[in-house]
Amino acid sequence: MKNSNKILDETPFQTAGPFLHIGCMPNKIKINNIYKNDLGEVPFKNKNEIEMITVEGSVFDGNGIALDDVMLETWQCDENGQFFEDNGFARFIPNKLTKQFKLFTVKPGQVENLHGKNQCPHICLSISSRGLNMTLNTRIYFEGDDLINDPILSIIKNSKGNIDSLVAKKIKKNIYVFNVFLQGNKETVFFDI
Amino acid sequence: MNVKSLVKRNYKKQPEIDFPDYKSSIFRAPKNKKISIPSNLEIFGPIFNKNIISKLDNDLTLNFSKNKMSPLGHKIIVHGTVSDQFSNPIKGALIEIWQANAAGKYLHQDDKNSAPIDPNFSGCGRSLTSSDGSYEFLTIQPGPYPYPNRGIEWRPMHIHFSIFGESFGQRLITQMYFEGDPLINLCPMVNSIADEKAKKSLVGKLDTSRSNIQNILAYKFDIVLRGVKQTYFENRQEGL
Repeated sequence: MKNSNKILDETPFQTAGPFLHIGCMPNKIKINNIYKNDLGEVPFKNKNEIEMITVEGSVFDGNGIALDDVMLETWQCDENGQFFEDNGFARFIPNKLTKQFKLFTVKPGQVENLHGKNQCPHICLSISSRGLNMTLNTRIYFEGDDLINDPILSIIKNSKGNIDSLVAKKIKKNIYVFNVFLQGNKETVFFDI
Repeated sequence: MNVKSLVKRNYKKQPEIDFPDYKSSIFRAPKNKKISIPSNLEIFGPIFNKNIISKLDNDLTLNFSKNKMSPLGHKIIVHGTVSDQFSNPIKGALIEIWQANAAGKYLHQDDKNSAPIDPNFSGCGRSLTSSDGSYEFLTIQPGPYPYPNRGIEWRPMHIHFSIFGESFGQRLITQMYFEGDPLINLCPMVNSIADEKAKKSLVGKLDTSRSNIQNILAYKFDIVLRGVKQTYFENRQEGL
Protein backbone atom coordinates (compact mmCIF):
# COMPACT_ATOMS: atom_id res chain seq x y z
CA MET A 1 0.00 0.00 0.00
CA LYS A 2 1.36 3.40 -0.93
CA ASN A 3 2.19 5.84 1.81
CA SER A 4 -0.84 8.07 1.42
CA ASN A 5 -3.68 8.93 3.73
CA LYS A 6 -5.80 10.31 0.95
CA ILE A 7 -8.69 8.07 -0.02
CA LEU A 8 -9.55 8.50 -3.67
CA ASP A 9 -13.13 8.74 -4.86
CA GLU A 10 -14.49 5.66 -6.57
CA THR A 11 -15.10 6.25 -10.30
CA PRO A 12 -18.83 6.93 -10.78
CA PHE A 13 -21.12 4.47 -12.52
CA GLN A 14 -22.95 5.18 -15.77
CA THR A 15 -25.69 3.14 -17.34
CA ALA A 16 -24.66 0.02 -19.25
CA GLY A 17 -27.15 1.09 -21.93
CA PRO A 18 -29.03 -1.11 -24.40
CA PHE A 19 -25.99 -2.37 -26.34
CA LEU A 20 -24.02 -4.00 -23.51
CA HIS A 21 -24.08 -7.33 -25.38
CA ILE A 22 -21.41 -6.04 -27.77
CA GLY A 23 -18.86 -5.84 -24.97
CA CYS A 24 -20.14 -8.41 -22.49
CA MET A 25 -21.62 -11.23 -24.57
CA PRO A 26 -20.71 -10.66 -28.21
CA ASN A 27 -21.31 -14.28 -29.24
CA LYS A 28 -24.95 -13.94 -28.14
CA ILE A 29 -25.50 -11.28 -30.81
CA LYS A 30 -23.53 -13.05 -33.53
CA ILE A 31 -20.27 -11.16 -33.10
CA ASN A 32 -18.62 -14.54 -33.24
CA ASN A 33 -15.09 -14.02 -34.37
CA ILE A 34 -13.52 -12.22 -31.45
CA TYR A 35 -13.92 -14.24 -28.24
CA LYS A 36 -14.05 -18.02 -28.23
CA ASN A 37 -16.59 -18.00 -25.41
CA ASP A 38 -18.63 -15.36 -23.69
CA LEU A 39 -17.61 -14.75 -20.10
CA GLY A 40 -19.53 -16.61 -17.37
CA GLU A 41 -21.42 -19.04 -19.62
CA VAL A 42 -21.21 -21.65 -16.86
CA PRO A 43 -20.64 -20.76 -13.21
CA PHE A 44 -18.62 -23.90 -12.36
CA LYS A 45 -16.45 -26.18 -14.42
CA ASN A 46 -16.25 -29.91 -13.68
CA LYS A 47 -19.45 -30.26 -11.72
CA ASN A 48 -20.71 -33.27 -13.64
CA GLU A 49 -21.35 -35.55 -10.67
CA ILE A 50 -23.16 -32.95 -8.60
CA GLU A 51 -26.89 -32.35 -8.53
CA MET A 52 -27.61 -29.03 -10.19
CA ILE A 53 -30.42 -26.55 -9.64
CA THR A 54 -32.13 -24.18 -12.05
CA VAL A 55 -33.09 -20.67 -10.98
CA GLU A 56 -35.43 -19.07 -13.50
CA GLY A 57 -37.40 -15.84 -13.58
CA SER A 58 -37.90 -12.44 -15.12
CA VAL A 59 -36.98 -8.85 -14.35
CA PHE A 60 -40.06 -6.61 -14.34
CA ASP A 61 -40.13 -2.83 -14.73
CA GLY A 62 -42.64 -0.46 -13.10
CA ASN A 63 -45.20 -1.18 -15.83
CA GLY A 64 -45.07 -4.89 -15.10
CA ILE A 65 -43.25 -5.56 -18.36
CA ALA A 66 -40.70 -8.38 -18.33
CA LEU A 67 -37.47 -6.90 -19.70
CA ASP A 68 -35.25 -8.58 -22.24
CA ASP A 69 -32.40 -6.06 -22.40
CA VAL A 70 -31.05 -6.52 -18.86
CA MET A 71 -27.83 -8.32 -17.98
CA LEU A 72 -27.69 -10.43 -14.85
CA GLU A 73 -24.49 -11.51 -13.13
CA THR A 74 -24.20 -13.93 -10.24
CA TRP A 75 -21.46 -14.77 -7.80
CA GLN A 76 -21.63 -17.65 -5.36
CA CYS A 77 -19.76 -20.26 -3.38
CA ASP A 78 -19.86 -23.97 -4.22
CA GLU A 79 -21.99 -26.68 -2.59
CA ASN A 80 -19.57 -26.80 0.38
CA GLY A 81 -19.67 -23.09 1.11
CA GLN A 82 -16.27 -22.56 -0.46
CA PHE A 83 -15.52 -19.46 -2.56
CA PHE A 84 -13.09 -19.74 -5.44
CA GLU A 85 -11.43 -16.85 -7.25
CA ASP A 86 -12.02 -18.29 -10.71
CA ASN A 87 -15.26 -20.22 -10.29
CA GLY A 88 -18.76 -19.27 -9.23
CA PHE A 89 -19.38 -16.38 -11.62
CA ALA A 90 -22.15 -16.44 -14.24
CA ARG A 91 -23.51 -13.87 -16.66
CA PHE A 92 -26.80 -14.21 -18.55
CA ILE A 93 -29.72 -12.40 -20.17
CA PRO A 94 -33.42 -13.22 -20.49
CA ASN A 95 -34.55 -15.13 -23.54
CA LYS A 96 -35.90 -12.70 -26.17
CA LEU A 97 -39.13 -14.67 -26.64
CA THR A 98 -39.98 -15.94 -23.16
CA LYS A 99 -38.36 -12.95 -21.34
CA GLN A 100 -37.10 -15.51 -18.82
CA PHE A 101 -33.56 -16.05 -17.63
CA LYS A 102 -32.29 -19.45 -16.51
CA LEU A 103 -29.31 -20.03 -14.26
CA PHE A 104 -28.07 -23.62 -14.13
CA THR A 105 -25.76 -23.98 -11.17
CA VAL A 106 -24.98 -25.82 -7.94
CA LYS A 107 -26.98 -24.98 -4.85
CA PRO A 108 -24.55 -22.98 -2.73
CA GLY A 109 -23.68 -24.22 0.75
CA GLN A 110 -23.78 -22.29 4.00
CA VAL A 111 -20.99 -19.79 4.51
CA GLU A 112 -19.41 -18.96 7.79
CA ASN A 113 -19.81 -15.31 8.58
CA LEU A 114 -18.43 -13.06 11.27
CA HIS A 115 -18.36 -14.47 14.81
CA GLY A 116 -18.91 -17.97 13.52
CA LYS A 117 -22.49 -17.24 12.50
CA ASN A 118 -23.56 -18.94 9.32
CA GLN A 119 -25.14 -17.25 6.35
CA CYS A 120 -27.86 -19.22 4.64
CA PRO A 121 -27.19 -20.50 1.12
CA HIS A 122 -27.50 -17.61 -1.27
CA ILE A 123 -26.35 -16.32 -4.63
CA CYS A 124 -25.25 -12.68 -5.08
CA LEU A 125 -27.02 -11.13 -8.04
CA SER A 126 -26.31 -7.91 -9.90
CA ILE A 127 -28.47 -6.30 -12.57
CA SER A 128 -27.32 -3.82 -15.21
CA SER A 129 -29.32 -2.28 -18.05
CA ARG A 130 -30.52 0.72 -19.94
CA GLY A 131 -32.37 2.99 -17.54
CA LEU A 132 -30.27 1.94 -14.56
CA ASN A 133 -27.64 4.59 -13.80
CA MET A 134 -25.97 2.15 -11.42
CA THR A 135 -25.74 -1.61 -11.29
CA LEU A 136 -28.16 -3.03 -8.69
CA ASN A 137 -27.15 -5.64 -6.12
CA THR A 138 -29.38 -8.16 -4.42
CA ARG A 139 -29.32 -11.80 -3.27
CA ILE A 140 -31.18 -14.99 -4.09
CA TYR A 141 -32.08 -17.13 -1.05
CA PHE A 142 -33.93 -20.45 -1.29
CA GLU A 143 -37.35 -21.47 -0.03
CA GLY A 144 -37.07 -24.40 2.33
CA ASP A 145 -33.84 -23.28 3.99
CA ASP A 146 -33.73 -22.16 7.61
CA LEU A 147 -33.90 -18.46 6.77
CA ILE A 148 -34.92 -17.24 10.23
CA ASN A 149 -31.41 -17.19 11.63
CA ASP A 150 -29.64 -15.64 8.67
CA PRO A 151 -27.76 -12.52 9.84
CA ILE A 152 -28.26 -10.60 6.57
CA LEU A 153 -31.99 -11.37 6.40
CA SER A 154 -32.23 -10.16 10.02
CA ILE A 155 -30.82 -6.82 8.90
CA ILE A 156 -33.40 -6.68 6.10
CA LYS A 157 -36.17 -7.52 8.54
CA ASN A 158 -35.04 -4.84 11.00
CA SER A 159 -35.01 -2.33 8.15
CA LYS A 160 -38.58 -3.40 7.26
CA GLY A 161 -37.42 -4.69 3.89
CA ASN A 162 -39.47 -7.16 1.88
CA ILE A 163 -37.72 -10.45 2.70
CA ASP A 164 -40.05 -12.40 0.39
CA SER A 165 -38.52 -10.57 -2.55
CA LEU A 166 -35.19 -12.26 -1.82
CA VAL A 167 -36.44 -15.85 -1.63
CA ALA A 168 -36.59 -18.08 -4.70
CA LYS A 169 -39.73 -20.27 -4.66
CA LYS A 170 -39.30 -23.97 -5.19
CA ILE A 171 -41.68 -25.15 -7.93
CA LYS A 172 -40.25 -28.61 -8.61
CA LYS A 173 -37.36 -30.69 -7.42
CA ASN A 174 -34.23 -28.58 -8.07
CA ILE A 175 -36.17 -25.85 -9.86
CA TYR A 176 -36.61 -22.43 -8.29
CA VAL A 177 -38.36 -19.27 -9.49
CA PHE A 178 -36.88 -15.88 -8.69
CA ASN A 179 -38.51 -12.78 -10.16
CA VAL A 180 -37.02 -9.32 -9.77
CA PHE A 181 -39.32 -6.30 -9.47
CA LEU A 182 -37.57 -2.99 -10.12
CA GLN A 183 -40.56 -0.99 -8.86
CA GLY A 184 -44.06 -1.32 -7.40
CA ASN A 185 -45.48 -2.90 -4.26
CA LYS A 186 -43.42 -6.04 -4.80
CA GLU A 187 -40.20 -4.04 -5.35
CA THR A 188 -37.16 -6.22 -4.72
CA VAL A 189 -34.81 -5.27 -1.90
CA PHE A 190 -31.55 -3.91 -3.30
CA PHE A 191 -28.39 -3.64 -1.25
CA ASP A 192 -25.72 -1.15 -0.53
CA ILE A 193 -22.87 -3.65 -0.17
CA MET B 1 -10.44 -10.49 14.93
CA ASN B 2 -9.59 -8.61 11.75
CA VAL B 3 -12.23 -8.60 9.07
CA LYS B 4 -11.85 -7.37 5.53
CA SER B 5 -14.60 -5.32 3.98
CA LEU B 6 -15.04 -2.75 1.24
CA VAL B 7 -14.84 0.99 1.81
CA LYS B 8 -18.37 2.27 2.07
CA ARG B 9 -19.68 3.63 -1.19
CA ASN B 10 -20.11 7.42 -1.27
CA TYR B 11 -23.41 7.90 -3.08
CA LYS B 12 -22.86 11.67 -3.28
CA LYS B 13 -20.20 10.94 -5.90
CA GLN B 14 -22.45 8.55 -7.85
CA PRO B 15 -25.34 9.12 -10.25
CA GLU B 16 -28.88 9.50 -8.99
CA ILE B 17 -30.68 6.26 -9.81
CA ASP B 18 -34.10 7.88 -10.09
CA PHE B 19 -33.35 10.66 -12.60
CA PRO B 20 -36.37 11.39 -14.84
CA ASP B 21 -34.34 13.56 -17.27
CA TYR B 22 -33.04 10.19 -18.40
CA LYS B 23 -36.39 8.86 -19.51
CA SER B 24 -35.56 5.16 -19.38
CA SER B 25 -34.96 5.45 -15.65
CA ILE B 26 -38.57 6.42 -14.93
CA PHE B 27 -39.99 2.88 -14.93
CA ARG B 28 -36.76 1.09 -14.06
CA ALA B 29 -35.15 2.91 -11.16
CA PRO B 30 -36.11 1.32 -7.83
CA LYS B 31 -37.92 3.72 -5.50
CA ASN B 32 -36.95 2.28 -2.13
CA LYS B 33 -33.77 3.14 -0.32
CA LYS B 34 -31.00 0.55 -0.62
CA ILE B 35 -30.40 -1.48 2.53
CA SER B 36 -26.85 -1.51 3.82
CA ILE B 37 -25.34 -4.94 4.47
CA PRO B 38 -21.79 -5.96 5.41
CA SER B 39 -19.65 -6.62 2.35
CA ASN B 40 -17.38 -9.23 3.87
CA LEU B 41 -18.53 -11.95 1.48
CA GLU B 42 -18.29 -9.90 -1.67
CA ILE B 43 -14.50 -9.60 -1.54
CA PHE B 44 -13.30 -13.00 -2.81
CA GLY B 45 -13.58 -12.89 -6.59
CA PRO B 46 -14.18 -13.44 -9.45
CA ILE B 47 -10.71 -13.11 -10.90
CA PHE B 48 -10.14 -13.92 -14.56
CA ASN B 49 -7.28 -15.91 -15.95
CA LYS B 50 -5.13 -14.38 -18.66
CA ASN B 51 -5.67 -17.44 -20.86
CA ILE B 52 -9.12 -16.04 -21.76
CA ILE B 53 -7.45 -13.11 -23.55
CA SER B 54 -6.29 -13.31 -27.17
CA LYS B 55 -3.70 -11.05 -28.73
CA LEU B 56 -6.13 -8.82 -30.62
CA ASP B 57 -8.75 -8.52 -27.89
CA ASN B 58 -7.59 -4.97 -27.06
CA ASP B 59 -7.09 -3.92 -30.68
CA LEU B 60 -10.50 -2.95 -32.02
CA THR B 61 -8.96 -1.72 -35.26
CA LEU B 62 -8.03 -5.30 -36.17
CA ASN B 63 -10.11 -7.74 -34.11
CA PHE B 64 -13.09 -7.58 -36.48
CA SER B 65 -11.43 -6.48 -39.70
CA LYS B 66 -11.91 -8.48 -42.88
CA ASN B 67 -8.80 -9.04 -44.99
CA LYS B 68 -6.90 -6.58 -42.79
CA MET B 69 -9.10 -3.70 -43.93
CA SER B 70 -9.10 -0.82 -41.46
CA PRO B 71 -12.31 0.44 -39.92
CA LEU B 72 -13.28 3.99 -40.93
CA GLY B 73 -12.45 6.87 -38.65
CA HIS B 74 -9.32 7.97 -36.88
CA LYS B 75 -7.39 5.69 -34.58
CA ILE B 76 -7.12 6.44 -30.89
CA ILE B 77 -5.29 4.90 -27.97
CA VAL B 78 -7.30 4.76 -24.77
CA HIS B 79 -5.12 3.96 -21.81
CA GLY B 80 -4.83 4.46 -18.08
CA THR B 81 -4.60 2.61 -14.81
CA VAL B 82 -7.00 0.77 -12.55
CA SER B 83 -6.33 1.35 -8.87
CA ASP B 84 -8.26 1.08 -5.63
CA GLN B 85 -9.22 4.00 -3.38
CA PHE B 86 -5.92 3.66 -1.50
CA SER B 87 -3.96 4.17 -4.76
CA ASN B 88 -2.94 0.51 -4.94
CA PRO B 89 -2.72 -0.57 -8.59
CA ILE B 90 -5.03 -3.48 -9.38
CA LYS B 91 -3.33 -6.16 -11.39
CA GLY B 92 -5.34 -8.54 -13.54
CA ALA B 93 -8.49 -6.38 -13.55
CA LEU B 94 -10.70 -7.32 -16.49
CA ILE B 95 -11.81 -4.35 -18.58
CA GLU B 96 -14.45 -4.97 -21.24
CA ILE B 97 -15.37 -2.11 -23.57
CA TRP B 98 -18.04 -1.48 -26.19
CA GLN B 99 -18.67 1.51 -28.40
CA ALA B 100 -20.28 2.90 -31.53
CA ASN B 101 -18.29 3.14 -34.78
CA ALA B 102 -17.01 6.39 -36.29
CA ALA B 103 -20.48 7.16 -37.66
CA GLY B 104 -22.12 6.73 -34.25
CA LYS B 105 -23.66 3.33 -35.04
CA TYR B 106 -23.53 0.20 -32.87
CA LEU B 107 -23.29 -3.24 -34.41
CA HIS B 108 -26.51 -4.24 -32.67
CA GLN B 109 -29.99 -5.09 -33.95
CA ASP B 110 -31.61 -2.76 -31.41
CA ASP B 111 -29.71 0.29 -32.69
CA LYS B 112 -32.30 2.08 -34.84
CA ASN B 113 -30.00 4.97 -35.79
CA SER B 114 -29.82 5.32 -39.59
CA ALA B 115 -26.02 5.75 -39.67
CA PRO B 116 -24.07 3.01 -41.51
CA ILE B 117 -22.44 0.00 -39.86
CA ASP B 118 -18.77 -0.58 -40.55
CA PRO B 119 -18.07 -4.15 -41.72
CA ASN B 120 -14.60 -3.97 -40.17
CA PHE B 121 -15.60 -2.75 -36.75
CA SER B 122 -17.57 -4.43 -33.96
CA GLY B 123 -16.81 -2.03 -31.11
CA CYS B 124 -15.99 -4.95 -28.80
CA GLY B 125 -12.75 -5.28 -26.85
CA ARG B 126 -11.24 -6.41 -23.56
CA SER B 127 -7.98 -6.42 -21.66
CA LEU B 128 -6.49 -7.47 -18.33
CA THR B 129 -4.45 -4.85 -16.47
CA SER B 130 -0.70 -5.38 -16.10
CA SER B 131 1.13 -5.70 -12.77
CA ASP B 132 1.19 -1.88 -12.47
CA GLY B 133 -2.57 -1.67 -13.04
CA SER B 134 -2.18 -0.23 -16.54
CA TYR B 135 -4.31 -1.02 -19.58
CA GLU B 136 -4.41 0.06 -23.19
CA PHE B 137 -6.82 -0.19 -26.12
CA LEU B 138 -6.29 0.70 -29.75
CA THR B 139 -9.60 1.68 -31.29
CA ILE B 140 -11.46 4.20 -33.45
CA GLN B 141 -12.90 7.50 -32.27
CA PRO B 142 -16.59 6.73 -31.68
CA GLY B 143 -19.06 9.20 -33.18
CA PRO B 144 -21.82 10.98 -31.26
CA TYR B 145 -25.35 9.82 -32.11
CA PRO B 146 -29.00 10.78 -31.71
CA TYR B 147 -31.31 8.74 -29.47
CA PRO B 148 -34.88 9.13 -28.26
CA ASN B 149 -35.12 10.64 -24.78
CA ARG B 150 -37.03 13.90 -24.18
CA GLY B 151 -37.51 14.11 -27.93
CA ILE B 152 -34.35 13.36 -29.86
CA GLU B 153 -31.12 14.11 -27.99
CA TRP B 154 -27.48 13.44 -28.80
CA ARG B 155 -25.14 11.29 -26.77
CA PRO B 156 -21.63 12.67 -26.41
CA MET B 157 -18.86 10.51 -27.86
CA HIS B 158 -18.22 7.74 -25.35
CA ILE B 159 -16.86 4.27 -24.71
CA HIS B 160 -18.62 1.90 -22.30
CA PHE B 161 -16.40 0.28 -19.68
CA SER B 162 -17.16 -2.77 -17.55
CA ILE B 163 -14.54 -3.52 -14.90
CA PHE B 164 -13.93 -6.45 -12.57
CA GLY B 165 -11.27 -5.72 -9.96
CA GLU B 166 -10.55 -8.39 -7.40
CA SER B 167 -14.09 -8.91 -6.16
CA PHE B 168 -17.80 -8.76 -6.97
CA GLY B 169 -18.23 -5.81 -4.61
CA GLN B 170 -15.75 -3.73 -6.63
CA ARG B 171 -17.68 -4.27 -9.83
CA LEU B 172 -18.03 -1.08 -11.91
CA ILE B 173 -19.84 -0.28 -15.15
CA THR B 174 -19.31 3.20 -16.51
CA GLN B 175 -18.60 5.31 -19.60
CA MET B 176 -15.60 7.34 -20.68
CA TYR B 177 -16.20 10.65 -22.44
CA PHE B 178 -13.76 12.71 -24.51
CA GLU B 179 -12.19 15.97 -23.38
CA GLY B 180 -13.67 19.01 -25.11
CA ASP B 181 -16.90 17.40 -26.32
CA PRO B 182 -19.64 20.07 -25.93
CA LEU B 183 -22.33 17.36 -25.73
CA ILE B 184 -21.04 16.12 -22.35
CA ASN B 185 -22.70 18.90 -20.35
CA LEU B 186 -26.01 18.41 -22.16
CA CYS B 187 -26.20 14.69 -21.45
CA PRO B 188 -28.78 13.63 -18.83
CA MET B 189 -26.85 10.43 -18.09
CA VAL B 190 -23.76 12.49 -17.24
CA ASN B 191 -25.88 15.02 -15.36
CA SER B 192 -27.40 12.29 -13.19
CA ILE B 193 -24.12 12.76 -11.27
CA ALA B 194 -24.54 15.94 -9.22
CA ASP B 195 -20.92 16.24 -8.08
CA GLU B 196 -18.87 18.23 -10.62
CA LYS B 197 -15.55 16.60 -9.75
CA ALA B 198 -17.05 13.13 -10.05
CA LYS B 199 -18.55 14.08 -13.41
CA LYS B 200 -15.18 15.32 -14.66
CA SER B 201 -13.49 12.10 -13.61
CA LEU B 202 -15.34 10.34 -16.46
CA VAL B 203 -13.72 12.53 -19.10
CA GLY B 204 -10.69 10.96 -20.81
CA LYS B 205 -7.94 13.57 -21.17
CA LEU B 206 -6.10 14.13 -24.43
CA ASP B 207 -2.61 12.75 -23.78
CA THR B 208 -0.16 14.48 -26.11
CA SER B 209 2.76 12.49 -24.73
CA ARG B 210 1.31 9.41 -26.42
CA SER B 211 -0.47 11.04 -29.35
CA ASN B 212 2.26 11.31 -31.95
CA ILE B 213 2.88 7.64 -32.56
CA GLN B 214 1.74 6.89 -36.12
CA ASN B 215 -0.66 9.85 -36.05
CA ILE B 216 -2.82 8.37 -33.36
CA LEU B 217 -4.54 10.51 -30.75
CA ALA B 218 -4.28 9.18 -27.21
CA TYR B 219 -6.68 9.64 -24.30
CA LYS B 220 -5.95 8.83 -20.69
CA PHE B 221 -8.68 7.48 -18.45
CA ASP B 222 -7.81 6.33 -14.93
CA ILE B 223 -10.28 4.18 -13.04
CA VAL B 224 -10.66 3.89 -9.26
CA LEU B 225 -12.41 0.88 -7.75
CA ARG B 226 -13.50 0.54 -4.13
CA GLY B 227 -10.78 -0.11 -1.58
CA VAL B 228 -10.63 -3.09 0.76
CA LYS B 229 -10.05 -2.26 4.40
CA GLN B 230 -9.38 -4.32 7.49
CA THR B 231 -11.48 -3.63 10.53
CA TYR B 232 -10.96 -4.98 14.01
CA PHE B 233 -14.05 -6.53 15.59
CA GLU B 234 -14.38 -7.63 19.16
CA ASN B 235 -15.33 -11.25 19.29
CA ARG B 236 -18.84 -10.86 20.56
CA GLN B 237 -22.01 -12.57 19.51
CA GLU B 238 -24.46 -9.82 18.72
CA GLY B 239 -24.27 -7.42 15.81
CA LEU B 240 -22.24 -7.65 12.65
